[in-house]
Amino acid sequence: MSNKSVKYLTGPFSANNPVIVQILGICSALAVTVQLKPAIVMALSVTVVTAFANLVMSLLRNGVPSRIRIIIQLVVIAALVILVDQVLKAYVFEISKQLSVYVGLIITNCIVMGRVEAFALANKPWPAFLDGIGNGLGYGLILVIVAFFRELLGSGTLLGFRIISESWYIGEGGWYSNCGLMLFPPMALIIVGCIIWVHRSQNKDLQEK
Amino acid sequence: MATKKFRCNVCGYIHEGNAAPDTCPVCGAPASEFTEVKTEKKSWWHDKNSNAYILVYATVMVVIVAAVLAVAALSLKSRQDANSLNEKKEAILASLGAVGQPYDEYISAYAVDAQGRRIESVSADDALQLLFDLKKAEAAATYPVFEATDGRVVLPVSGTGLWGPIWGYVALEKDMNTVVGAVFGHQGETPGLGAEIATEKYQQKFIGKTIFDGDRFVSITLRKGGAQDPAHEVDAITGGTKTSDGVTAMLQTSLGHYLPLLEARRAERSDAETPSDEDGQTL
Repeated sequence: MSNKSVKYLTGPFSANNPVIVQILGICSALAVTVQLKPAIVMALSVTVVTAFANLVMSLLRNGVPSRIRIIIQLVVIAALVILVDQVLKAYVFEISKQLSVYVGLIITNCIVMGRVEAFALANKPWPAFLDGIGNGLGYGLILVIVAFFRELLGSGTLLGFRIISESWYIGEGGWYSNCGLMLFPPMALIIVGCIIWVHRSQNKDLQEK
Repeated sequence: MATKKFRCNVCGYIHEGNAAPDTCPVCGAPASEFTEVKTEKKSWWHDKNSNAYILVYATVMVVIVAAVLAVAALSLKSRQDANSLNEKKEAILASLGAVGQPYDEYISAYAVDAQGRRIESVSADDALQLLFDLKKAEAAATYPVFEATDGRVVLPVSGTGLWGPIWGYVALEKDMNTVVGAVFGHQGETPGLGAEIATEKYQQKFIGKTIFDGDRFVSITLRKGGAQDPAHEVDAITGGTKTSDGVTAMLQTSLGHYLPLLEARRAERSDAETPSDEDGQTL
């Protein structure tokens, strides 16, 4: 892959991250980050959908009437999501059960439409596809970081495995108690805020004067 | 409508009319300097912003998408149905703690009415199908029962959590009182809070609870702040009070539908044999 292609792919990880720089997809970042597992599943699904929505819209970009392009984008994205959902239900039922309501959340994820509108409609299919994957993974990166802290501090587990020993808990005679606030959506917003803070302090060019 | 366009070759002025003007109003060039601009009449499929193009584009798009989705849905339906049927069977076996047993040999399914009488017209397959819309089946007083070969029964329950429907299977010991196991499912309860009802760890708390206090039906209650009555109560989920209340109500209502059946079985048992501890024992 050429340097340019690599940039499409890795740009959204940090300098152009959809969540902490473009501030897109915050809504689902709050909803699915209570535990690590749904966050990872959601991140992968969004990556797949963003990549293919970008690809399809980039292929259609010369024919789409600009006045109804948003509706066309919505149709393409919704159709893709439904298609993915149907295939998952038929062939990997377990994963589809875990996704359950998140599938609907993908359609409403601002990142998908944001990237289609901002990138795919003005670029060739291959860069658009890479941009989709990059943004999906950039989104996933933040989701995993947020979910890591929320699950660890809120439930004392990671991916469902117990990390903080049962015997530490007050109920078992110890001194430790889970932070209940971590389980609620506002805490995700605060963690995202902290990530943005750290990220901006490391990237001077992103700081607003 | 039929105006032609003429361009002045000297200054580029464009005149609209049926013929070139005598002199150009801008630079004064004579009519001979004007040439007609052949405007290709743009056909509607070239003008992407014309209404006709937009309408046709949208129509074609929607028809294609609808066709793709319809084909996908139809061709995958049988697999999906088989999957969800299989899921129900596995949940029934899981509530009995008999995962891996062959369902068809181990379970006989039937349905009972509000008086606890067996409805003969409902076959084993029909009883399974009833699970897909249990609320409707309950409204029609058709209550599916899944009986294991060893006499234990699994009763499906359905209710409402905080965000949407919740459902489950409660397996009872032969005494029709002690819970062998419970499996719960939900559509969209909050992960980490209400959704905990679907975890094995939480469901294990129901094992060994009893739904009758003497001869009185008390169901099982999810108590906020911790169970006080070890026989009929389970700790509610911290932060998942609404979902816990939903489970309590679901157990109360749905198990209540089976009361005539359960009481008849209990009466049969106490007539047939003096109560012994043997069957009531659970892990």
